[in-house]
Amino acid sequence: MQAAKKIIINLFLVSIFSFSFGTSFLFADEISEIREMTKEKVDHVISTLKDDNLSKEEKKEGILKTIDGLFDFSLMARLSLGKKYWTKLSTEGRAEFSELFVERLKQSYLDKLDLYTDEEVVVDEAKLTKKNRVEVLTYLVSKDDKKEMTYKLYKTKKNVWMVYDVDVLGVSIVQTYRSQFSGILKKESLEKLIERLRSSAELGS
Amino acid sequence: MPKNILAFLTFIIILSISILSVKGPVAYAQENTSESSSLFLIKESSTDDEAGFDDEFEDEFAASEQEVFDPLSGYNRVMTGFNDRFYFFVLDPVARGYRWVLPGTARRGVKNFFHNLLFPLRFVNNALQLKATNAGEEFLRFSINSTIGILGFWDPAKEWFGLEAHEEDFGQTLGYYGVGGGFHVVLPLLGPSNLRDMFSLYPDLQMDPVNYVENRPYNFPKQEGEYLGVSRQTLQAIDLTLLKTVNTESLRIGQYENLKKDAIELYPFLRDVYEQNRAKLIRE
Repeated sequence: MQAAKKIIINLFLVSIFSFSFGTSFLFADEISEIREMTKEKVDHVISTLKDDNLSKEEKKEGILKTIDGLFDFSLMARLSLGKKYWTKLSTEGRAEFSELFVERLKQSYLDKLDLYTDEEVVVDEAKLTKKNRVEVLTYLVSKDDKKEMTYKLYKTKKNVWMVYDVDVLGVSIVQTYRSQFSGILKKESLEKLIERLRSSAELGS
Repeated sequence: MPKNILAFLTFIIILSISILSVKGPVAYAQENTSESSSLFLIKESSTDDEAGFDDEFEDEFAASEQEVFDPLSGYNRVMTGFNDRFYFFVLDPVARGYRWVLPGTARRGVKNFFHNLLFPLRFVNNALQLKATNAGEEFLRFSINSTIGILGFWDPAKEWFGLEAHEEDFGQTLGYYGVGGGFHVVLPLLGPSNLRDMFSLYPDLQMDPVNYVENRPYNFPKQEGEYLGVSRQTLQAIDLTLLKTVNTESLRIGQYENLKKDAIELYPFLRDVYEQNRAKLIRE
């Protein structure tokens, strides 16, 4: 009787122990998988950029194909405009805004990397910030300096981890667009904002 | 006894359920399925709109979004335009010419030299923020780079000993102790700043040895006397600051243009970038 009790108590303790460790291992496992996935994609982007056999167009296409599964561009568009204004837009308005804005984001990301082709990208640690949020810290290292770039990922309903924001030196891309948009929309209409995006897209291309 | 065993079994079952639910299937978007996943995204976004627009995200970004108190916005806009033009018509062309003349190694050496001279600033502000390890590392870096690194032109402290610099200025120290930035001020030539950082420029400049070039018999050119009503000593400090600025700029040509591409309106954009970056530097 006494011995059996002891065994049960021991088993109980062991299971608590393994439970607490087990979950942290599971988390760690998933986080390191996210880190690997981000690293793989970013490395692929950099190697495409450095590949001299490819033309500029081919590079762009290759990179966009790589990051399409990593970045949740449509979510970024919604977040940048903000709920207040997004809900005011018609379905067509949303589609047009998303298209223009996503194109702009992609171009901006490409331009940023384009400047850093001689640099090395170091993928540092990934950490869990909330239950379904992970931040992957990376560095763009060149001879002159070291820039911090953080990819912020969330878990979609399909259990896929995707990037919803990028911080460059602590400056969030979504946040920056968000405050620009809300500043402009205090003075101008949504139509005019979309008009502006459209004309700058035409200038850029 | 069976009661206990039953309880134990229940416990194990609850355990395994919770473990399974924590793990869940992890799926990653594959490159070759990117088409189907983007199709899926469009669908997902349309359902999200109906179901209240990703409220969790909305809170995340709305929390850091405040009405900016910007009494100087009129002046700031004008000054941003001026600084922007100054960059494109003066600083950038000069830096490009300088880059053309001087090889990268030399320019990096000059940068290291000036950076090493700013050791007092970093040391004092690390110490003021009670970052003892960082202050100690700064001290080691200065000792190593000033000697083995030949007056700081090389950076063996980083390359051989892996000691990284810890940038801190007085504005960051004030921020560390809870002093807010105050309203945004765009300074002529120096660019974005705020009330706190603007006043911090004074102690910062006091700690820059560039401003302490004194009369010495071996100085060249001579430091005595005046030129156009300005003492030659001040002129020398200005010369050195110019060299430092052009040299720094020559090592980051194209970065400002690149940054600007994310701007729809330049002034609010640069203000936001500055304030977010400062906030991060203070957090660290």
